[in-house]
Amino acid sequence: MYRAMIGPGHSACPGSSSESTLMPAPLEITAASKSFRTPEGGTITALDDVSFGLDGAEFVTLLGPSGCGKTTLLRTISGFEALDHGTIRLEGQDVTDWPSHKRPVNTVFQSYALFTHMPVSRNVGYALEIAGADKATIRRRVGEMLELVGLAGLENRRISQLSGGQKQRVALARALAGRPKLLLLDEPLSALDKNLRQKMQHELKSLQRELGIGFIFVTHDQGEALTMSDRIAVLAHGRIQQLGTPQALYRRPANLFTADFLGDSNLIPLVVAEGRGILPDGQSFTLNGAPRAGTLMLRPEDLTRTRRGEAGLTFKGVVAARYYSGKDFQIELDCPGTGRLLAVLRDDGAVPDTGAELTLHSATDALHVIEEVQP
Amino acid sequence: MSLRTRRTWSLLGLLTAPSAFLLCFFLCPLVLMLIYSFLTPGLYGGVEWEFFHLNYGRILGWADTKYERFDPVFLIIFLRSLRLAALTVLTCLVISYPAAFWISRMPPARRNFALFLVTLPFFVSLIVRLFAWVLILRPTGFLNQGLMGVGLTSEPLEFLYTDFAVVVGMTYVFIPFTFLPLYASIEKLDTAQIEASFDLGATRVQTFGKVILPATLPGIAAGAVITFIPALGNFIVPSVLGGAKVVMIGNLIEQQFLSARNWPFGSALAMLVMAAVLVLLIVQLRLARRQDVP
Repeated sequence: MYRAMIGPGHSACPGSSSESTLMPAPLEITAASKSFRTPEGGTITALDDVSFGLDGAEFVTLLGPSGCGKTTLLRTISGFEALDHGTIRLEGQDVTDWPSHKRPVNTVFQSYALFTHMPVSRNVGYALEIAGADKATIRRRVGEMLELVGLAGLENRRISQLSGGQKQRVALARALAGRPKLLLLDEPLSALDKNLRQKMQHELKSLQRELGIGFIFVTHDQGEALTMSDRIAVLAHGRIQQLGTPQALYRRPANLFTADFLGDSNLIPLVVAEGRGILPDGQSFTLNGAPRAGTLMLRPEDLTRTRRGEAGLTFKGVVAARYYSGKDFQIELDCPGTGRLLAVLRDDGAVPDTGAELTLHSATDALHVIEEVQP
Repeated sequence: MSLRTRRTWSLLGLLTAPSAFLLCFFLCPLVLMLIYSFLTPGLYGGVEWEFFHLNYGRILGWADTKYERFDPVFLIIFLRSLRLAALTVLTCLVISYPAAFWISRMPPARRNFALFLVTLPFFVSLIVRLFAWVLILRPTGFLNQGLMGVGLTSEPLEFLYTDFAVVVGMTYVFIPFTFLPLYASIEKLDTAQIEASFDLGATRVQTFGKVILPATLPGIAAGAVITFIPALGNFIVPSVLGGAKVVMIGNLIEQQFLSARNWPFGSALAMLVMAAVLVLLIVQLRLARRQDVP
């Protein structure tokens, strides 16, 4: 804009035409494998042939239980762990063998890892100090960064004088000050209390949009992952189980692990015959595609007391337990043939109590079949 | 009795015994030494209760009477003691720092064993250990035989009764004193801080200079002071390994009390050591106060 005003001949912003040319992906990991030796002499496979990448300035979450390899994957990107096999490319450049101090990525650590012997300003300015920037530049950048994370004016504080949330923000400012191409976050919110964590989730998300760089966020908290991510990679046993948008993963999980790990779900075994899935209690519905066997997934909120649409499934049973959570009730329904179902019902003053009979319905479009049989 | 007064009383009760002990066996002798250093030496040992400033005059330069004369040798010995103690601290730090770093990163079981090994020399008498060093350093000792054996030297070198021998001996004796405070501060250092430094672009050398060293500075200072103080006043190591050639201030004080029987002069020399230690402690206290408490 500014250029266009002083340069009469320039009608378009410089660089805007090159936007459309092929930009290399910010991150591309191909066939990455990594295993560790245990002190007892065995080996643990932390990453098993993982391929994964960022398409643009995305917020991608690596989600999985502890020991699934998500932290190892992050540490191979930052350069703290070397891969056994595979390559890592940052903006098209092969950095597989680069030491961590040469990689243009920065990390927000789980423990924050702030330099306790330095004031806030030197912590935030550390990357610039190392890069040899002059004092005025560092001071200006530190000011900008602290402003960005909402800690303006705290330059001279000691780390020991900060609260947990403030430390978190300083760690964020420090990682961003050196203008990384990619920001890696290793469970940074796990030490914060619930309210602060929710606030930080929203702030991180909007910060990522504002900065326009890729964020890779590691967490074992599925709620956190659903709230913040553009895409989620679910990891288990060193492999990516599923990679997709939060809605895709929640509504259409590809396997039982993802279905179970993300949110609550009812998993009902199916028998397949003549293009129809047959439930244990005898009900059946038309299957799309032709799986040979499978499991029906029903989210608790898809079970309603009123019939919605045509030809759904109906479950009749006795309420085994009822838990109140503010705006709705969690119901455990014992259905003969099907087993125990989980449902979430809105508190309209008429939700039946334990021991009462209840009939629940689910619409056809809420049914999702996973081509995997429960062990 | 309220809880608060009970607390106060029990605190006082607990503090009485150690306070009384320190008063009787530390503060009183110290004050006695201070008073003695300003008294006249008796003709056949002991003191005469008469004010006398030439004890300090003999050391510092204003004594010029017939019997009490200034002699620069005392200052020379004092300065040599400062130098040897400082050298000892330096070698102790250089040896202890990497060792402490290494041990602090070991798996717990092996770490405890390594720490036990560090304190192992304490289980053997100091005199025995020092005479072992005499065997190593003397002209026909292991060191010289080894050097001649591999052809580095053709005839035995003088190791025993040199500054080198004294520094080696004191380093050997005091290294656990340097090691333990150093270890305590290095062990506290968060590995993630080192990773964070690499992550933000720092090389190994930069990380050591900007993160590891400053973060462990309190340990370095504590280890240095706690080694320097006993090294400065030490008289066993120089008398065994330094002989008559390397006399330290501790030997001089010992001589004044036991052989020359000039207690006031010995006290004055001891006060000189005290003054040096006091200055050092004040400097360290200032430094410690400036450091951030993590």
